[in-house]
Amino acid sequence: MKNVEVAIEQGGAAAAETFQPRIVGFLCTWCSYAGADQAGSCQLEYPANVSIVRVMCTGRIDPEFVLKAFRAGADGVLVLACHPGDCHYKEGNLRAAQRHAVLVRLLEQMGIERERCRFDYVSAGEGEKYAQVISEVVSSVAALGPLSINS
Amino acid sequence: MKTGVYFCNCGSNIAEKVDPERLREALERSGAEMAWFRTHPFLCSEEGKQFLEQELREEMPDRVVLAACSPREHEGTFRRVLAEAGMNPYLMQMVNLREQIAWVTADPEQAVAKAAAAVNGALRRVALHEPLEKSELEAAPEVLVVGAGPAGLKAALTLADAGRRVTLVEKSPVIGGLPVRYEELFPNLECGPCLLEPVMGELLHGDKAELVEILTLSEVSEVAGSFGNFLVKIRRRPRYVDPVQCIGCGECAAACPATLPNPYNGGMDERNAIDFAFTGGLPSVPYLDPSACTRFTAGSDCEACRAACPMGPELVVFEEQEEIVERRVGAVVLATGATLYDCSGFPNLGYGSCPDVKDALEFERLIASTGPTGGEVLTSAGKAPASVAIVHCVGSLDDAHRPYCSGICCSYAFKFNKILQERLPEAKIHHLYRQLVAPGKEEFRLQNSAREYAGAQFHRYDRLAELEVVVDGGQKLRLAGGELVDAELVVLCPALVPNPDAEKLAALLDLPLDGFGFFEELNGRIDATRSKLRGVYLAGTCQGPTDIRGAATQGAGACGALLSELVEGRTIELDPCIASVDAERCAGCRVCARVCPFRAIGFDAEQGTSEVNPVLCRGCGTCVAACPMKAIRGNHFTDAMIEAELEGVLA
Ligand SMILES: Cc1cc2nc3c(=O)[nH]c(=O)nc-3n(C[C@H](O)[C@H](O)[C@H](O)COP(=O)(O)OP(=O)(O)OC[C@H]3O[C@@H](n4cnc5c(N)ncnc54)[C@H](O)[C@@H]3O)c2cc1C
Ligand code: SF4
Ligand code: SF4
Repeated sequence: MKNVEVAIEQGGAAAAETFQPRIVGFLCTWCSYAGADQAGSCQLEYPANVSIVRVMCTGRIDPEFVLKAFRAGADGVLVLACHPGDCHYKEGNLRAAQRHAVLVRLLEQMGIERERCRFDYVSAGEGEKYAQVISEVVSSVAALGPLSINS
Repeated sequence: MKTGVYFCNCGSNIAEKVDPERLREALERSGAEMAWFRTHPFLCSEEGKQFLEQELREEMPDRVVLAACSPREHEGTFRRVLAEAGMNPYLMQMVNLREQIAWVTADPEQAVAKAAAAVNGALRRVALHEPLEKSELEAAPEVLVVGAGPAGLKAALTLADAGRRVTLVEKSPVIGGLPVRYEELFPNLECGPCLLEPVMGELLHGDKAELVEILTLSEVSEVAGSFGNFLVKIRRRPRYVDPVQCIGCGECAAACPATLPNPYNGGMDERNAIDFAFTGGLPSVPYLDPSACTRFTAGSDCEACRAACPMGPELVVFEEQEEIVERRVGAVVLATGATLYDCSGFPNLGYGSCPDVKDALEFERLIASTGPTGGEVLTSAGKAPASVAIVHCVGSLDDAHRPYCSGICCSYAFKFNKILQERLPEAKIHHLYRQLVAPGKEEFRLQNSAREYAGAQFHRYDRLAELEVVVDGGQKLRLAGGELVDAELVVLCPALVPNPDAEKLAALLDLPLDGFGFFEELNGRIDATRSKLRGVYLAGTCQGPTDIRGAATQGAGACGALLSELVEGRTIELDPCIASVDAERCAGCRVCARVCPFRAIGFDAEQGTSEVNPVLCRGCGTCVAACPMKAIRGNHFTDAMIEAELEGVLA
C-alpha cells in the first residue's frame, strides 16, 4: 500500500527524475507547529516531502517513534522544538535534545546516518526558518538517497 | 467503524491547491477507511457549523476527520460543534491542509499527495481516539496571602471585597511592608502613612475585616496539596501580648528596663524589650523581643510590664509558645517583597565601618518624624551635615553584582534631594550615578527639581570602585576623576534584591526562581501575575523591582487572575488530556517524577507506585516517553495513536 509514494511518483516531471525522500516531522504544538503555520500564513513555498505529526511537547517524543518511522519507510526524521527557555512546559525541549543526542548514536550503530535524523529549534515567529529547515532537511536526505533498510 | 471525512474548501484557499476530487480519489485508491468524503465551502462559518452539526446528527459517524485549517485555529470550534451534535468532542482529528499544505506547496500534484498522506494518518489515528470527559474538583475558595506590604495588602483587600476569606501571613510584627518606614513618597511627596493607613485600617477594622485573618510574626512552614486544595502550616511566633485586649497605650514599654538596638531604625536608636516596632505601627500592639527581655536572657523574674498594664497583668503572656496554625486554601498569593543589596560588599564605600555612611532605608528613618532623630537630619556626631553625597546604582547595572536597573532608586534619590533641600537649605548635595532614570508619568517632576537645584551637583561614574569614602578630618568622597568633595553624610542607594525568604518559600512550593532569586512568572510579558505553579500568584517586588504603585496594582491584578480561576461555588475543570500511571505496570523507579516539569507526579509509598496529580499535570507527555515500563498513558496522545498516525502518513 504505497499510495503516497505512487502519488508522489505520479507528480511533476521534476519529481519523477530526482529521488523524493519521505520524511516525518515531529512538531510541538506551541512553537514549531505554530512556526509552520506562520510559514503558511506568509505563503512561503517549501518542498512537500515532510509529513507532520503534531505532539503537545517534544518531550513526548519517544525515541521508539523515530525508529518506527524509519521502519515504516521514512528516509528521514525531523524533530522541531521550542528554543531553550521557551518551552511551554518549561523543559520538555531539553529532554528531547538529550534523547536526540543518544538516539543519533544508536541510529549510527544501526547503519542509519545521523543526518537522517535532524533536531532543531523553531519558534512560533520563525516561519522563515521553518521553511528553510524543511528545504535543508529534504535536500540533505535526498543527497543520502533512499534508506537501505527500507528497500 | 464509520469515519466521515469533511473537506473545507476555505473559499478557494484550500481547494485551489488541493483539489478535493483528486484527494478523494487518491484516498479511495489507497483503500483508506473512510465512510464518506464531503466538502463544504466554509466549515467554520455559521452556515458551515450548522451543516456539520446536522450531518453528525443524521449520519451518526463514529469518528470525524476535518481536513481544513490549523487545529491551533479551529480545533476548539469544531470540538464544540461535535458536542452540540451530541458527540464526544475528542472523537475528531483535524488535518491542517491550509497552513501546512495548500499555502506552502507549489505543485498541485504534490499538494494532493501530501494531503492524502496526512488524511490517511488522521484516519488511522482517529480510529483509536477515545471519548474523554473533563473531570471536576471541589475547591476551597479561601486564599492565603504571604507578605503584608503594599502588594499583599492590596491583594487581601481586593479578595475580601469580593467576599473571600483571606489569611494574611506577615513575618514581621507589623503590616505595611517597607513603605511604613517612609514618611514621604515619590513621585509627589505624598504622606506615606496617610496613603497606607486607610488600606491597613480597612483590613483591620473595616466592613470586610472579619473576612481577613492577619497573622503577624508568622511564616509558612509547610505546604501540601495543589490548586484548589492547599494545606498550609503556618509557624506563628509568640508576641507575648494579648492582641485582642491590648489598647495600645504603651505603658508596658515605658516601664520596661531592658533595651536593644531598634531594628526598624537600622539600630540608630534603642527600643525597650517590650515596645512598639515604631510609633504608629499597625497592629497597634507592642511585642516582646525575647532576645532582650531579662526573663528570657537571664532568667530574671522582672514583671515591670505586667505590673504597668492598665488592662490587667494577664495581657502580657510570658508563657506564650510558638504555635502551628493550619489552613486549607484554594490559592496562594506571594507578595514577600524585596530588600536592599548588602552594601558591606563595597569596602571602599565605608558602609558598616563609617557611621555616617547610611543605606537608603536607614536614611528614610533619619528623615522620618518617628525616626531616631525625630526627623532631623543629623550625623552620628549630632550635627546637621553641610554636605551630603547620594550614591545611585550601588550594585545595580553592575555585572559583578546585579546587572539590572532597580528602577526605583533614582526616584527616591530625587525625593531625598527635595527633602534635604527643604530641611538643610545650606547643604551641598552630590549625586553620584551611573545612569539616571525616572520612568513614569509623574516622576520627572522630582528629577527636574533636583537637576535644577543650585545646591545639587551631578557626577557620573563608571565603576563603583572609582569612588572612595575617606575620613580625613571630616568625611569626604573621592569622585571618579580623583577629586575629593566634602560628604559629611553619604547615602547609598543599593540594588533591590529579593527577600532571602523567597528561597525557602520556593522550596516549600516547588516554585522556580529566576537567575536573581525573584519568583519566576508563568510568562514575564503576558502572564506576569501567575507563577509557574497553578494556583500560586505573584505580586510586588518579589517578582522584580517596582514602586508602590506597581506593587499595589500587581496585588489587585493577581486577584483578577485568581478570582477568574478559583470561582466560588464552581468546581475546577480538569483537562482530560493528561497522563495517568497504570499501577499494575509501574515498577516504582520514579523516573517519571524526575522528568516531570510540573512536579505533578507523586509516589504512593504503600503500593510502591507513582501517581499523577491531575490538577498539576499539564499533559506535556514527557513522563509518558520516559517511563521504561511503558506504564504511563498520555490521554489523546497515546503511543498507539501517534504510531498509527506515523504509519498512516508513511503508508
Ligand atoms: C529606600 C526606599 C525608598 C522608597 N521610596 C518609595 C517611594 O517614595 N515611593 C514608591 O512608590 N516606592 C518607594 N520605594 C519602593 C517600595 O518600597 C516598594 O515598591 C514596595 O515596598 C513594594 O511593596 P511589596 O508589597 O511588593 O513588598 P514589601 O514592601 O517589601 O513588603 C513585603 C512584606 O512581606 C513580608 N515578608 C517577607 N517574607 C515573608 C515571609 N516569608 N512570610 C511572611 N511575610 C514575609 C515582609 O516582612 C514585608 O512586610 C522605595 C524603596 C526603597 C528601598
Ligand atoms: S517511570 Fe514508569 S515505572 Fe517508573 S515510577 Fe514512573 S510510572 Fe512507575
Ligand atoms: S504529562 Fe507532563 S505534566 Fe503531566 S505528569 Fe507527565 S511529565 Fe508531568
